[in-house]
Amino acid sequence: MPLAPSRITGYNAPVPPVSQTIRVKVLFFGRLKELSGHAEDSIEFADATTIEELFALYAARHPELAKFRSSVVASRNQEFAAWDTRLRSGDEVAFLPPVSGG
Amino acid sequence: MATLPHDDIYQLVREPIDMAALARHVRAPEDGAIVAFDGFVRNQSHNRPTLYLDYEAYESMALAKMREIGAQLHEKYRIHRVAIVHRLGRLEIGETSVFIAVSAPHRAAAFDACRFAIDTLKRTVPVWKKEYFEDGAVWADGELPPAPAVTPRAKTAS
Repeated sequence: MPLAPSRITGYNAPVPPVSQTIRVKVLFFGRLKELSGHAEDSIEFADATTIEELFALYAARHPELAKFRSSVVASRNQEFAAWDTRLRSGDEVAFLPPVSGG
Repeated sequence: MATLPHDDIYQLVREPIDMAALARHVRAPEDGAIVAFDGFVRNQSHNRPTLYLDYEAYESMALAKMREIGAQLHEKYRIHRVAIVHRLGRLEIGETSVFIAVSAPHRAAAFDACRFAIDTLKRTVPVWKKEYFEDGAVWADGELPPAPAVTPRAKTAS
């Protein structure tokens, strides 16, 4: 596990301004909505936070959420997204339980 | 939003689904077959009698995923029109929750496309159902969408 963001990753990326905060919209569905206590939230945090870190923030507040981590899928701007996706200001992130439509 | 090809229909509704109207919509003189899937509420779940179901969706993403399925159908199969409608809210036993109709010049493509559509919908469209019983309610066991585990640069996604 790298101790710092890899230089290779950062090579083409713009240098982020120091301690910039971003705001994202967070949605919870199904069981996760009940466990987190809300369907929708708006949250501000340090730039370059990943979806995984965002989930951890909520799991710290609502320990029940953490139990379901392995079955949760995340989306960013209505598209399934990997847990290591870095968030940008204005993103809409959703935490989705296994889908059961039909 | 991109214009929908082939006069397709992709909808989330809160009223009963008019299956006959959807079948008429996809039907055209140049076609020879329509294959439809009618998914409706079962009266039991794991041998427990069900009272009713309540469906919810991440609506903007669900519609986008339904359209994506439609685009895949047109890419993969020689079909004409597609209708995919999912109902949300409280549904009673026997009521249709999802209806899919596919028209095609020949039946094989319509069968294949309809099967692909419902199988894919069950895995990728963000809709959830809560099952209500005499003694409580549970969220139905769902399927995990094939989400990327990590960003593609680190591991092969497929």
